[in-house]
Amino acid sequence: MKALLFACCVVLFNAPVTSADLKPPTKPAEQKVTETKYILHTGLEIATDPKAYEAKLQISQSQLQSFRAALDGSPGNPAVVGGIAVSAPRTIIAGLLMFLAVSIAGVFLARSSSFGRTQKALAAIVLVAVLLGAAAIITRGNAGPPGSYRWRNLPQALAKGEPTVGGVDIEVVPDDQLSGRMRLIIPLKKQNSPGEE
Amino acid sequence: MQSAVELRTWPRARALPNARVFVAIVVLCIIASAAFASWLPLQVSIVTVFLFAGPHNWFELRYFLMRLPVRFGRSRNFFLTAFAGLGVLTLAYVSLPFIYNAATWSEEAWSTVIATWNTSLIVWLGALIWLRSKQKPRANWGWLIPLGLALCSLNWLGPDFFSLAIVYVHPLIALWFLDRHLRRTRPAWSRAYRRCLYLLPLVLVGMIWQLSQTSSLADSNGLFWRITQHSGAEVLPQVSSHMLVSVHLFLEMLHYAVWIVALPLIGRAASRRFWDVKTVPVARHPKGFPRLVAGVFVVAVIAVAALWFGFSIDYATTRDVYFTVAIAHVLAEAPFLLRMI
Repeated sequence: MKALLFACCVVLFNAPVTSADLKPPTKPAEQKVTETKYILHTGLEIATDPKAYEAKLQISQSQLQSFRAALDGSPGNPAVVGGIAVSAPRTIIAGLLMFLAVSIAGVFLARSSSFGRTQKALAAIVLVAVLLGAAAIITRGNAGPPGSYRWRNLPQALAKGEPTVGGVDIEVVPDDQLSGRMRLIIPLKKQNSPGEE
Repeated sequence: MQSAVELRTWPRARALPNARVFVAIVVLCIIASAAFASWLPLQVSIVTVFLFAGPHNWFELRYFLMRLPVRFGRSRNFFLTAFAGLGVLTLAYVSLPFIYNAATWSEEAWSTVIATWNTSLIVWLGALIWLRSKQKPRANWGWLIPLGLALCSLNWLGPDFFSLAIVYVHPLIALWFLDRHLRRTRPAWSRAYRRCLYLLPLVLVGMIWQLSQTSSLADSNGLFWRITQHSGAEVLPQVSSHMLVSVHLFLEMLHYAVWIVALPLIGRAASRRFWDVKTVPVARHPKGFPRLVAGVFVVAVIAVAALWFGFSIDYATTRDVYFTVAIAHVLAEAPFLLRMI
């Protein structure tokens, strides 16, 4: 009996000691950022206000929820995150349907007697090109002019007091990189003045 | 078997010499609508929907009744499919907000639900086209199968974008109705009308070019927020909501102008008496249903008055209810347009 009590005491007293070495579970929100993390892409408007005494960063409530969802690792609002094909099942269904569409269109084209051989070949090339183009656009939703295009006239717009709207990628960076500030990086290339190389 | 009773609803009218006046009015409508929609999109949207949403539905209902045969005959399957799909899809669409409030599904699950509804819509349209093509053996509509499948595929890639596309495409259907109507009643005007339509993409490109750099509209209150959301501000956050609301409002104004002004006034003089039940073939025919048609008209007038009353009391809620229930008239356009092709 004494041996049993002694064994229980050893186990009970050792429990806190042994568990002290275990890392306590951390909440996702408390996780420290150790590297730059891309959150989402959204729109940004830079405007001037002559009546304001302090710079302001205005964020809508829905965007704030999207930030929170993105930080928590949940997909958030798919429309804001990107909208197109973020779900594997939907992508599979879409792929199957597109496969059927292209296959049937090809069969119709091949069996059609109203087109000549050259026209059929041209139509097939156009079909494949459209398909590849659509796939490229879907897989790279931001394809098109680079984001910097919309910001190219920012200095002139600021000088005139006019707003400028463009896309912005939101990133969370480690604390030591910004030391408590926020940083807005605008993709502006240095414009050489006339006569300057 | 009962044979179909073909009604000569739209006898070819004599071409009138004032086609130029018609062209001038169409061009003026397009430019004025674009100007108002670009200038004060939110305010004009509120006024436009308040004034014209209900009446345009009334005129649309009357137009569909005028296109309805007294006996379905060999179009029986077509109309049964049309009405069954119309009822089921409308009920499913109207029930979605209630399910949304009751269920706690994820965003992904909702995307799947929306994609399923959109797919059902495409399948229903495909069935109607197939049934219609059986009545037109010369028409080669087989290429619509891969097109429908491709649309289904795009819908599953981005259900929200597909739903938004319906919002923007629907007003344009009215222009198609007017085109078919003119070909039957005023063939001399048809070519001029089609030339006028070339102006539409130019105006749209001009609006997009002018408004794409504008600041987004202040959706500070619930009503303004609803209007911008309806135009796709949430689905396309990188696009100026001013541009979205203006473009959508511009198309809506053309839609209302076609249904309320153009279609009732262009045609036979008798058909312009839109209040007269006897101008509707289903009511005028000896085997027709004059009392039923009169009853439908009266109920529709009461609904329009109720809509105005609702807008006066609580505009935002009434707008929500209206645009949910209005999916029925969006769907109803499909079978009647197919009957005109």
